[in-house]
Amino acid sequence: MYTELNSILNTTPDSFTQGEFVLLSDRKSDASFLIHHFLSLYLRARCKVWFLGLVQSFNHYSAISQRLGVSLVQAKEKGQLVFLEGLNESLSVLIPQETDTTSQAMGFLSDPAVGLKSLYEFVRSSVTSSGGGEEEADGAEEWGPPVLLVDDLSVLLSLGVSVGAVLDFSHYCRATVCSQLQGNVVMLVRCDGEEEEDDGDDEGSERLLKGLTHQCSLTLHVQGLPTGFCRDIHGQVEVCWRRRQGDGQYTQKKLFQYKVHDKGASFFAPGTSSAVL
Amino acid sequence: MLPELLQGTDAGGFLIIQDSASYSGRHLLKSFINSALDREEAVHVLGFEVSEEELKDGLKGSPIQRLHFHNAYTDPLGWTDHPAFTVHQFCLEELTRLVKQTSHPKPATLVIDSLSWILRHLSPPDVCKTLQQLRKGGAVRAIIGLLHADMHQSGTVGSVCHLATSVITVVPVVKGDKAVAKITKRSKSGKVMQDEEIFSIKDDFTVIVQGKPSQLGHKQADPKEQETDPTANLTFNLRLSDTEREAKEKLALPICVQQREENGSAPLGPRFRTNFV
Repeated sequence: MYTELNSILNTTPDSFTQGEFVLLSDRKSDASFLIHHFLSLYLRARCKVWFLGLVQSFNHYSAISQRLGVSLVQAKEKGQLVFLEGLNESLSVLIPQETDTTSQAMGFLSDPAVGLKSLYEFVRSSVTSSGGGEEEADGAEEWGPPVLLVDDLSVLLSLGVSVGAVLDFSHYCRATVCSQLQGNVVMLVRCDGEEEEDDGDDEGSERLLKGLTHQCSLTLHVQGLPTGFCRDIHGQVEVCWRRRQGDGQYTQKKLFQYKVHDKGASFFAPGTSSAVL
Repeated sequence: MLPELLQGTDAGGFLIIQDSASYSGRHLLKSFINSALDREEAVHVLGFEVSEEELKDGLKGSPIQRLHFHNAYTDPLGWTDHPAFTVHQFCLEELTRLVKQTSHPKPATLVIDSLSWILRHLSPPDVCKTLQQLRKGGAVRAIIGLLHADMHQSGTVGSVCHLATSVITVVPVVKGDKAVAKITKRSKSGKVMQDEEIFSIKDDFTVIVQGKPSQLGHKQADPKEQETDPTANLTFNLRLSDTEREAKEKLALPICVQQREENGSAPLGPRFRTNFV
């Protein structure tokens, strides 16, 4: 996890807001480094984590988490991490074998119009059956609040799922994990175009981003620098708190610049990069 | 106009709060709920987007007993076995039944959070028909709905707002937690009034109107002029007093004194010619 981002968000593994829906988004950039932050933060916080990894393999996340000081392999063995490897699961849907007994979580691939009820069922049954924070079976460890991470939602649009179905899925995840179980949800959505003042006709990532923004309590939006490429500053992150903060302010926005390193990322106020000071 | 609207809509009134992803209209919606409760009205909330706990957060005191939350948040699509209220139950009969469940002398105010959720799943004509039937039906005294204008086509937004007697569009102001409310109100005689007001919402959901957007421009200029007087606190004088000016005019410049003394030779000495003719 990135300590500077923790101080910006006022979180530590020992103290973080529960019941939050965090939306990570990027526009012509790559916000996936933030997924690794939240994954390592919540694992260190001893939460039970459900990770829907739809775009990368388990080994990819494991290698990066290793550099951040967290072992996903160990977490999985201990039962702290439940990982849905979307790429693998999708093969069993696309090329079904007779002996397949895998879940129907990725069943929407064969008929995207059906929506994501099956994927939600996978999440719900897994999260509620393991107690979601309650005591496990004898001998098993007791974990903290449940956390659901999704990387990423935009790929579902590419697979033929409608924006409405994705918004319904995120709504149900929030209702179950955040409201019912007082856990947290972190989802990544990616936009490839310019921000448009569209007429609502756009069935793509822009409408999905707006819909998710209405649902969430905290957004982190990653973009490249408006002035262009810079070797020492990889982009900017706009953090927006949408729920009431302690001092009574409702919506608060802050802008930071960041640089991704081999073993982390640093965040700083605009113009204060160590390269220019 | 905003305080007038908060004091109560006329019978058969339909108020829409239009917001966008950049500023949530739910805070203003809760102010309207708070005002209705203070007027000893019963308020029925059809809650699709936020949980009961989140909606009631901040609303305190005994009036909250007159707030009836109908849970369409947990399972709005009937994905579980026992949904409390689904979006497909949004019709005159079901809503009338809901509102009449609680006995109260006065007809209630129905709050819909949000119309956008319903419009994502039901066709706009059906939604408009139900809203119009509700208005005329007499089961509810007034309807207040939250609409995320950036989630729909402009035609849909226009159609729904056409039914409304008042529309408040909220947009954020750059600094602070203030916002601008653009209000359109249609009276029963057909007269249309429009206004724009800057407002902020306190912790107890009272709304403070802080003038008009054009006034804000002036207000911002005046403090700046009063703040800094660049001619104050200088270490030197900018102006000469009368005696100082006289003394300055009487003073002979060193170059002139030397010229008189050396009687014809160049002021800077014989080696330097300054009169190039």
